[in-house]
Amino acid sequence: MFYREAGQFYTTYAKDQGIFQLKQDKYGLWGLLFFAFLVVPIGLYLLVQGGVMAGTTKDYLYNSILLLLLVNCMAAMGLNILTGYCGQISLGTAAFMGVGAFTAYKFSTGMNYRVQKEDNAGELVSTLVPILPQIDNPIALILLAGAVTAIVGVLFGLPSLRIKGFYLAVATLAAQFFLVWCFSRVEWLYDYTSSSTIQIPLLKVLSFIETGTITFGMPDGSTKAVSVSGFLVAGSETLKVPDGAKTIVSASGFILTDFSKALSSPDASRAVTGETFRIYPVPETKYIFSLAIVVVFAFIMKNLVRGRIGRAWMAIRDMDIAAQLIGIRPLATKLLAFAVSSFFCGVAGAMLLIFYLGALEGAEAFNINESFSILFMVIIGGLGSITGSFLGAAFITLTPIILINVQPAISDVFQDKALVEHIQFMVFGALIILFLIMEPLGLSRLWQIAKEKLRQWPFPY
Amino acid sequence: MSATERQFGDVLLKVDNITLRFGGVKAITDVSFEIREKQIFAIIGPNGAGKTSMLNVINGFYHPQEGTITYKGNPRQQMKPHEAAETGIARTFQNVALFRGMSTLDNVMTGRLLKMSGPALRYYHQKLANLPVINYLTYPAMWFGDLILDSLYWGPYQREEVKHRKAAEEVIDFLEIQSIRRTPVGRLPYGLQKRVELGRALAMEPDLLLLDEPMAGMNLEEKEDMCRFIIDLNHEFGTTMALIEHDMGVVMDISDQVVVLNYGRKIADGTPNEVQADQDVIDAYLGVAHEADLEEK
Repeated sequence: MFYREAGQFYTTYAKDQGIFQLKQDKYGLWGLLFFAFLVVPIGLYLLVQGGVMAGTTKDYLYNSILLLLLVNCMAAMGLNILTGYCGQISLGTAAFMGVGAFTAYKFSTGMNYRVQKEDNAGELVSTLVPILPQIDNPIALILLAGAVTAIVGVLFGLPSLRIKGFYLAVATLAAQFFLVWCFSRVEWLYDYTSSSTIQIPLLKVLSFIETGTITFGMPDGSTKAVSVSGFLVAGSETLKVPDGAKTIVSASGFILTDFSKALSSPDASRAVTGETFRIYPVPETKYIFSLAIVVVFAFIMKNLVRGRIGRAWMAIRDMDIAAQLIGIRPLATKLLAFAVSSFFCGVAGAMLLIFYLGALEGAEAFNINESFSILFMVIIGGLGSITGSFLGAAFITLTPIILINVQPAISDVFQDKALVEHIQFMVFGALIILFLIMEPLGLSRLWQIAKEKLRQWPFPY
Repeated sequence: MSATERQFGDVLLKVDNITLRFGGVKAITDVSFEIREKQIFAIIGPNGAGKTSMLNVINGFYHPQEGTITYKGNPRQQMKPHEAAETGIARTFQNVALFRGMSTLDNVMTGRLLKMSGPALRYYHQKLANLPVINYLTYPAMWFGDLILDSLYWGPYQREEVKHRKAAEEVIDFLEIQSIRRTPVGRLPYGLQKRVELGRALAMEPDLLLLDEPMAGMNLEEKEDMCRFIIDLNHEFGTTMALIEHDMGVVMDISDQVVVLNYGRKIADGTPNEVQADQDVIDAYLGVAHEADLEEK
């Protein structure tokens, strides 16, 4: 009744070609963005302040659920460009994410290489020599990660001219195994550490806004320290904290970190004595930052797929012979899809390292299971749909977490611990099968049907 | 207006002694013909005569082993399908080859892809390509600029989209498919799908339009519509067309020149009236009585 196109006429082609056909859709999306950007962080903050929710629960919600969800949304969008819009099946998504993560790491540490010299005692001493200045801006790191991954993606996309379908999927498996092998064998990539683990250095975020020292004012004189930058996002800044300060608040009033918790950290003694104090990335800022990146890239993806590039991709996907006879160059079009898709995946990988994990081991974080789970997100969410990427990522990411959280309830019934854990996998698998039987075109199709039903409501047709 | 009174232009496409082999099988043997501008040219013949293979040769999908093709006065090198499309050859298919996941409008807009160039690259071609600067740098920069404009759907790129949307809407108006603009083509009935496919080819503004059985599987009304579109296109816009069709009534009514193929060989070439009277053609279609059969009687 309220959701229909009646009375909405467009008088110019420019308006008719807008992203939203219906005003209700537009308002709905703005509402969703408002909710995600403002209601979630402020609401959770108020819940914690009001004592309804424990501070650890809030951190768990951000660090383990929301950030992972955003990273997965990004990766699912990337794969959906390639598989959903251009019709090229890829099993190398996780490896491309890995390229993004390692690129971000190498640029953030200044592209170290090892120099080995014999010292006076005749022993081999190795030192790391940086080639480039260290980049501590996460946006620059993420864009660089995307660009490098795009180049790698194009290289591994070259076989797509000759091979199609499942055979191409097998060819991309080569990318998966080769790149993951590099992550654990090419020592330069992880700075020659024995555990082949990479850890992102603490980043000074938005350093282009504020480069000098951050001073504090104390509005109520006793318990709070306020950052003048007003906007400390992920990463760290070195702050001078006055004696007795309990909380650090930005000028905008946004709580950056709970200072009382920081007091128990190893740096606490220095903080109390009024020396410099380091703020670690707080979940809220990481969340807002990741969310903004995902929203911007979703917008870019929507623009690409509704324009000439997207049409060329879909033409290749739907009927490649007819596409060629229209004048679409198959190789260039497919390689562009590989490049853009890999760019998105590289960004997702860099986000995984910078915002979600902080430190990771390449061979473990980007193994083939990860590739498969992203492919499942895209298939369950709906091929060739941006909404589908989000829905699929949410389904695959959240269902296991929900199942883990209901586990205590089940374990009361069954008593057997191993059985309960297996039940979780069984339920997850059954849900996937059920969804695919109900709607092979994915969750996005269900969403579309729901919208059509809503349009006709309260009439049946 | 009878076909003989009509005025045609120069020779647009000249096919000379084309032979196409697949291994030991000769699909086309030594076929030659000429298509003139503004002509409706028909290729007919029994099943398996090599008609579709001939179209595939013309738009670069098959590469003949012998013979030459002269297009717009220039002998054509072996080319890929998308290169043939760039020279202005459009094509519809015997079994509908639409982009099923896209709407009617998007299908027609896809036909405009060759005409759509990125604003930055067009500026490059107009202003910068002849400048004595390092084009190895400016070209990729402009290409990348287009990608950025595309990804923002902004400014010059949006104007480009609107411009081509207007052209696409003209095609949609001409074919009277306004009401199904937003419908995914997979949901359309067969006759409309054929019409959308014609629309997609027309959106390319082709110099030579190849129609592979445009009326196959249609009912009488749909056939009449399709004939009307073909004749209107030819008379109003002067589009040159080469079509394959099995409905002899249609072929003899609308075409200016007919070539008859049988077993890959050309057996007749001329106006519909000449071809109808040709004994070889009658034999090919109706069959020839074997002498042994005649003797039995």
